[in-house]
Amino acid sequence: MCEGGCAIQVRLVNGNRAILIEGNPANPLTEGGICALGASGLQFLYAPYRISKPMKQTKSRGDMSGLQPISWDDAMAELGKKLGKMRADGKSHEIAGIISNRPSSMAELWLQFFTAYGSPNLFRMPSALDGLKLSAQLTTGKSSPFAFAFGNAEYILSFGSNLFGAAGATGLVSPALRQGNHGGKRSVTLVQVESRCSMTASKAERFLAIAPGTEAALAMAIAHLMVRNGHYDEDFVKNNVFGFEDWTDASGKKHQGFKSLVSSAAYSPEEVAKATGLQATQIDQVAKEFAARQNAIAIWGVGQPDNANGAYNHLAFAALNVLKGNLKPGGLVSLAPALPLAGLPPVSKDQAGGSPEQMRLDLVKSGPAPFRQYGLYEFLDSIRTGSKYPIEMLLVHEANPSYSIPENKLFQQALGKVPTLVSFSSFMDETTARADLILPDHTALERYDDVAGIPLAPFSYYAVSAPILKPLLDTKHTGEVLMTLAKGIGGPISASMPWKSYEEYLKFRVEGLAQLRKGAVADKPNVSIVELSGGEAVQPNFSNAAELWKKLKAGFCWYDAPAPISGFETASGKLELACQSIAANGASLADDKLYLPHFQLMNPSGNEEQFPLLLVAYKPSFTAIGYHPTPPFMNKLIPESVLLGEDVFVELHPQTAARLEFSQGERVFLKTTLGEAAVRVNICSAARPEVVYLPKGLGHSAYDRYIQSKGTNANSLMEVQLDPVSSMGTVWACRAQLRRV
Amino acid sequence: MVIDLDKCTGCGACSVACQAENNVSFREDESIKLRSIAWMSLFQLNNGSNYPDYKYAILPRPCMHCDSPHHAPCTFVCPVNATTRDENNGIVTHIYPRCIGCRYCIVACPYHARSFNWWDPKWPEPMESMLSPDVSTRMRGVVEKCTFCHHRLLKARSKAYVDGTDPDKAIYTPACADACPAKAIVFGNLRDPHSEAGKLSKDPNAFQLLKKLGTEPKVYYISTQDWIKKLSDNAVTQKS
Repeated sequence: MCEGGCAIQVRLVNGNRAILIEGNPANPLTEGGICALGASGLQFLYAPYRISKPMKQTKSRGDMSGLQPISWDDAMAELGKKLGKMRADGKSHEIAGIISNRPSSMAELWLQFFTAYGSPNLFRMPSALDGLKLSAQLTTGKSSPFAFAFGNAEYILSFGSNLFGAAGATGLVSPALRQGNHGGKRSVTLVQVESRCSMTASKAERFLAIAPGTEAALAMAIAHLMVRNGHYDEDFVKNNVFGFEDWTDASGKKHQGFKSLVSSAAYSPEEVAKATGLQATQIDQVAKEFAARQNAIAIWGVGQPDNANGAYNHLAFAALNVLKGNLKPGGLVSLAPALPLAGLPPVSKDQAGGSPEQMRLDLVKSGPAPFRQYGLYEFLDSIRTGSKYPIEMLLVHEANPSYSIPENKLFQQALGKVPTLVSFSSFMDETTARADLILPDHTALERYDDVAGIPLAPFSYYAVSAPILKPLLDTKHTGEVLMTLAKGIGGPISASMPWKSYEEYLKFRVEGLAQLRKGAVADKPNVSIVELSGGEAVQPNFSNAAELWKKLKAGFCWYDAPAPISGFETASGKLELACQSIAANGASLADDKLYLPHFQLMNPSGNEEQFPLLLVAYKPSFTAIGYHPTPPFMNKLIPESVLLGEDVFVELHPQTAARLEFSQGERVFLKTTLGEAAVRVNICSAARPEVVYLPKGLGHSAYDRYIQSKGTNANSLMEVQLDPVSSMGTVWACRAQLRRV
Repeated sequence: MVIDLDKCTGCGACSVACQAENNVSFREDESIKLRSIAWMSLFQLNNGSNYPDYKYAILPRPCMHCDSPHHAPCTFVCPVNATTRDENNGIVTHIYPRCIGCRYCIVACPYHARSFNWWDPKWPEPMESMLSPDVSTRMRGVVEKCTFCHHRLLKARSKAYVDGTDPDKAIYTPACADACPAKAIVFGNLRDPHSEAGKLSKDPNAFQLLKKLGTEPKVYYISTQDWIKKLSDNAVTQKS
């Protein structure tokens, strides 16, 4: 249901009626625990807004009365015909797709389909992991995101990580939680850096209340002190890191190194205290502790955080781990292991049909680069403004971009230029309500699926989700729909997807795992995965693919020990603090600091006079913000201080409320450069003065009356700024105004 | 029951698991909490400090199954004996067909643990399939509250009888304790000094809510934070 991949079990009555979803107590990561969204899962299986069979829009887009049910044969014929014709006309590249960011074999299948079909325009929904992947790519040259060994950390310096507020963090954070607090002595020191007094901040031993968007400045100040005092792993840096000292590029030009940059007065605790609103003494204390404590790690990007991202911010956080020597073999920071699942058959190009290599639409302006994998916003903007070529058809699977991407209006505007929208959603969500053709997927409990790794985990992990009951409605597994479409189009596409069912495809994937005879299945109690150290030998307890498949199907997970980083694939062959790959095509960058981690506040739009406040959208624990909406069970968790009737409350500090002469509960308009919404004021000291906090996950307009019309969609008000390096959409805060109704 | 508030993150899995297990009904608008039926409620506590020292915590509140001698506050006032305490296991039960909806028990409960069915519950039609056959649904006009998953106890006892073991020694866990990802909720025999619940209830950091009322709640909380412990007697000094 989300990227958390938590293991569940389902209670059935008469083998065909599901009455309870529980955590699977046999799973070593979650030990039977589950989050509120997972526990509500049956409200999606049995949702009244489920789509019961394929549908076609017979009137104008978005007209619910025009959505007519059609048969699967008709739906497949229509889509197949259109896809076939476009390919034959050499216009394959005008098909685009937006899919889930959940790690699963479905993503590989989509990629295979698009590659064979001849379109480069496949995009995944934005995820906090994107930044971790980007910074790992820039520093190590590898294409896996950073992984954090939570189980072994004793001092966690968390830059805005939403450890206790987000779904998906449960599987990784619960073991860390279960360790803590025996007899009052916490075994882990958590230092939380964010602007709002969140649950994570409340639980942290130290809370650094920072001005929004300045987290990287704090990271640089800590690095400044570590370097100044020599409190960093000098051996590791000397032998393994490129760009710490001043460096020379391939053309012989000299550049400033990280040591010189970070040592400047701009990154002294005194200067950074001004930028962040912290005390210099606080910065000194954290720097001292981080440097001195064994097993100290800097983490970020966990659990849908709201802090500034973008390449340079991520690099600043990563630099702390580099200085600490955390990237040593067996260290607290490694890379997400590549799962040895069977690779999909290579795609052969055919002469008849398919277009010549066309550049992905988001890369037309900036040019290709390995770290430009996050161009969803550039892509949407290109469609909206008109670019090299149009997009004729957009396929959306397990995603609801019309609601859930920040600056969702951009998606809606781009959609206006796309003649055909095909949705594979099981639910009548905001995106699907605008679809021209709907081919509904089974819901999670009705289909085969897999969990291809746990995000942020240093250990390898794989699990299979088998259907627990027969499909309730006339839906089809989207994976199987792709396989059928591939056969219909024929040629190399058909050959690239030779499986007859999704189960067969997953079995094929598992063969790869079995062949390597590595890792084991956790089918006995007391298996500890989180505490496995790098390179530790795990004895396989399966002898062939069939046996492994049987155990996976029974609900047990496969795991293997973390793998140390095996060599860096950067231009220098070392871990790069001066990320040479940022300079595309070998041309030197204008400013030396553009190679290095540094702090650059991304200036939000709007003038300060008109918009004197900052708006931060935060992810609370009681809403769902991904593909699934907040279900009716979770409505009871939303406190009266956040939602009353249809009104959402924004958090405002008493001082700011007094200055604006607002009283508790006052009705006001919240306006940003993107739009305006009617909200109410909750005066609360959790809020940073002059900052307005709006919860995410409300403001739906689709589904049904249990979900609709509650509050406002924060994504409609939040501004997205493009990271200059990767074109990744970064969201942290935007300028805002509150005025009385 | 012992709930460790240091471990609790307020994720709400306990509340949702309880709703799913016990067929708790829901309406389109659940924002008015006085009308919302919640067996496991999440109370929001805060330390009243100014930013950035402000801290908040969530306190999950099931029924306390008060152990005060002879009667719990609610069982004492019920005019028809719809709610009584089973002295074999200590669970305060509620017989829905007996309840006349006078709501005297709601008045009596100092923990606001009881909810009233102001309306007949109505589920969206497909969701009727997810109702558990183990738990009666309720109609309008009756009170309901947390039962410590009494039906799970009965199942465990039946299983023990069939297996040939002593039903009085049967153990079980309620849905909330199962669901908690932080393992913050521990359930067991408070009178058994060797059970985890029994041991934790004697933890120096363990406390009960509104202890001074003499209700002898069977739910203990653990917290190392003084500001939370101070709130346990609900000295009302600020408007909620």
